[in-house]
Amino acid sequence: MIQQIIALVIILFFISRLFWQRKNKKIGGNEFIFWLIFWFLAASLIIFLKKVDSFVAALGFSGKGIDVLFYLSVVVLFYLVFKLGLKMEKTEKDITKIVRKISLDDNEGKN
Amino acid sequence: MEKNFNKIVVVIPAYNEEKNIEKVINEVKPLVNELVIVDDGSSDKTFELAKKQGVTVLRHLINRGQGAALQTGDEYALNNQADIVVHFDADGQFLSSEIKEIILPIQNGEADAVFGSRFLGKKSEIPWFKEKIIIPLAGLVNKILINISLTDPQNGFRALSRKALEKITIENDGMAHCSEILYKVSKNKLTIKEVPITVIYHDFGQGIFRGNGRGTGGLRIIKDLFLARLMK
Repeated sequence: MIQQIIALVIILFFISRLFWQRKNKKIGGNEFIFWLIFWFLAASLIIFLKKVDSFVAALGFSGKGIDVLFYLSVVVLFYLVFKLGLKMEKTEKDITKIVRKISLDDNEGKN
Repeated sequence: MEKNFNKIVVVIPAYNEEKNIEKVINEVKPLVNELVIVDDGSSDKTFELAKKQGVTVLRHLINRGQGAALQTGDEYALNNQADIVVHFDADGQFLSSEIKEIILPIQNGEADAVFGSRFLGKKSEIPWFKEKIIIPLAGLVNKILINISLTDPQNGFRALSRKALEKITIENDGMAHCSEILYKVSKNKLTIKEVPITVIYHDFGQGIFRGNGRGTGGLRIIKDLFLARLMK
């Protein structure tokens, strides 16, 4: 019970940060909604942990609900890191395009 | 049938090559119509020294890797009516006297893309580890990923006709561009020829984990090739 409350407090803290960042226009609308849904989902899973336990058991897992949530979170993290990597790669390519354009334009300016 | 190829442009990417750049420029400049040095964000005097030699010098504000520098040079060459572009190295490992040999198949209309090879007769003193381990491994990766077998797929000395240049855009900023060019040459059904060239080794330019500048090192190259496939 205590653990659940601690987890919920942490989630509440993140949600409040999220609203603060939105208020200060540090994140876009889509990103705000994504994280809001993410944290609300996380909170509801914690509140209904018993239900998750029985759901996980019904699926045939031997572990507890919280364990399965933990495994799932690792999978999600891997996916997010992968997405981030692709995004960074794209940013790098865009930087190269800009650097290339500047170098070619600079040279044209001299002729 | 012999075609008329008037303008030959050599593109040399250079990253911190102040020790070699003047020598390479002086050797190559008299042999071609235009020499383009792409200074890839060097922190030494490469840019200034190249500029003094009176050749075209393009400057990347920050280091973007050899593939990126070659593409910058290629775009410049295309915009400036090049008929043949030769990719050459700034560290003096290739012989400028062999430029005429590498462009000959294009001039004779035999090929659109000509690749230099260290393994076709001419004697290069290749370090043992590189000859027996790294190059065969690189060849295997090329075979698996892009299904091309050349005797020397990681060789950076190559010539491309204008037709090839118009079809090939190098998107890999790092050293994975070698495999990328091969892949795009074959995808566009361009004709390929390999010619024997000499390589003079100064030291290990390319390690397994890291090399000099961005996007180098064998494992990084393989990672880049995989990523390039994923991002399509």
